Amino acid sequence: MTDKSYYLLPFDFTEISGKEVLVNELGDLIVSPKGTVQKIIDRSLPKDDLYKSLVANFFISEQIIPPLAEIYAERLREKKRFLESWTGLHIFVLTLRCNQNCVYCQASSQNEESNGCTMSKETMAKSVELMFHSPSDSITMEFQGGEPSLVPDLIEYGIELTEERNKEAGKEIHYVLCTNSIHLTDRMLDICKKYGVVISTSLDGPAFLHNSNRGKKDSYEKVVAGIEKGRKAVGTEKVSALMTTSVEGLNYPIEIVDEYVKLGFHAMFLRALNPYGLATHNDNWSEYTDRFIEFYKKAFEHILELNKQGIYFVEEFAAIVLRKMLTPYCTGFVDLQSPAGVINSVLIYNYDGGVYCSDESRMLAEFNDYTFRLGSVNDKYEDLIFGKKAKEIANVWANEALAGCSDCALKQYCGADPVRNYSTQGDMYGNRATSLLCRKNKAIIEYLISLIIERHDEVMPIFRSWVS
Amino acid sequence: MTIKIDRRIYNDSVISKAIYWLSGDFIIVRSILDDNTELLSITANNANIDEDAIKTKLMQTLNDFKLRQIVADETRDIKTILYAKAFAEDEDLNEEDIHD
Repeated sequence: MTDKSYYLLPFDFTEISGKEVLVNELGDLIVSPKGTVQKIIDRSLPKDDLYKSLVANFFISEQIIPPLAEIYAERLREKKRFLESWTGLHIFVLTLRCNQNCVYCQASSQNEESNGCTMSKETMAKSVELMFHSPSDSITMEFQGGEPSLVPDLIEYGIELTEERNKEAGKEIHYVLCTNSIHLTDRMLDICKKYGVVISTSLDGPAFLHNSNRGKKDSYEKVVAGIEKGRKAVGTEKVSALMTTSVEGLNYPIEIVDEYVKLGFHAMFLRALNPYGLATHNDNWSEYTDRFIEFYKKAFEHILELNKQGIYFVEEFAAIVLRKMLTPYCTGFVDLQSPAGVINSVLIYNYDGGVYCSDESRMLAEFNDYTFRLGSVNDKYEDLIFGKKAKEIANVWANEALAGCSDCALKQYCGADPVRNYSTQGDMYGNRATSLLCRKNKAIIEYLISLIIERHDEVMPIFRSWVS
Repeated sequence: MTIKIDRRIYNDSVISKAIYWLSGDFIIVRSILDDNTELLSITANNANIDEDAIKTKLMQTLNDFKLRQIVADETRDIKTILYAKAFAEDEDLNEEDIHD
């Protein structure tokens, strides 16, 4: 053994705000002066506070095996805890029919009167049976479309089957209705109330913007009325909203945040367009990505300002990243996981009986691309989950083993996305150097770290309140 | 522009990883001149980037990946042990499994 005053533990590093940011396998980060990594490697570090912090936080060890190796291992296990519970999110695409005409539709929705694009009861029954094969103790059954509230009978049928089946299985079941809230009838809300269905609606911002995005003149008024109706029926805390940043929306970061505050929400997810469905018609994704990053920062600064004024308001994407950064725990967010959320955390049962590995992969199928179709609801669960297609995807679903990701200091906060790689770059493996998803995620994560470095005392109380 | 790289200082893995990350902004052609020297021919996709900036970026990226390589090489065994402790229930690796 060479003469070493201490031993290195695995970590990576990057430069942010003129500092060297060191991140270990546990997602812990240390901000240090430039040149620190060279000194660590050269064993020329003075035994000062930084040295003690590096030892205490598992970046270096004074013994060949760290004395707290068992704790390290337990924390490592905790970071991947989401794998233990297997697939928890089961998305049922009930119909492609929709009563809106969104400019960025990612779900290839069809006209409200369209035929042949709604799930049969037989397919629902088989899908529910597959869902119960998941070993997960906690299952979320999410209804999507098109617009799922157009088929309340099918929703009720699916829930009743699930309730009946669960008498034996004894799982914790959650129901989510993803709806535009335009068609929240009393019957639909009665079902939500009876079974505790959480309503996840979509609102893109102020009336002028939302109506423009939706291709309707009165969509905003109907959505807001639907949100109020939903809140009265199932409770305020069970109604949330999700926005999508259209190209036009990029111009209104402050107005969009203010709209959510005005409507009484305490959180929002600043969500970029996904390159699926009609959204693929956006002709310059590189420019969109750069503009989205600027949009995000402006909206985020406004959210910080609101919090400083005493208004508790969370930006959800940041909260997920910060939870990975500031707590020992993993998150259940499927888009920022490694191994990826596909199959491990989410399965999709499509209206036509196809089973897919993610919401985005069924959207590709609407354009006759069945790359991510695992099989059908007629197949055995084991054949879907451990089949040839699943194994092919598994080869590229861990960012620890992907070129570009494996050496990235931010990989602990990010995730692998073979479906996005395929849809934007033509193969599941992807190329990080030219990936717009990588550009966006890195920019936002680096921005959050820069805030911690440059405005620590100002932002940390807010960030801690979001992750606690 | 062209830059000569001493392969005794930056090995193939380090050069490959650095070029990977620069490939979004530059076209880089690699040529082996002799046992110790590699020639990189670099063209920027954006004509506004000057040669000094390209050289600075390349050398910084090479140096960073060299440091990463050292960390990865020194921690390979302990990383295996820690991951085995975390995820491989029947594995019992210890100090003897670390090789210098």
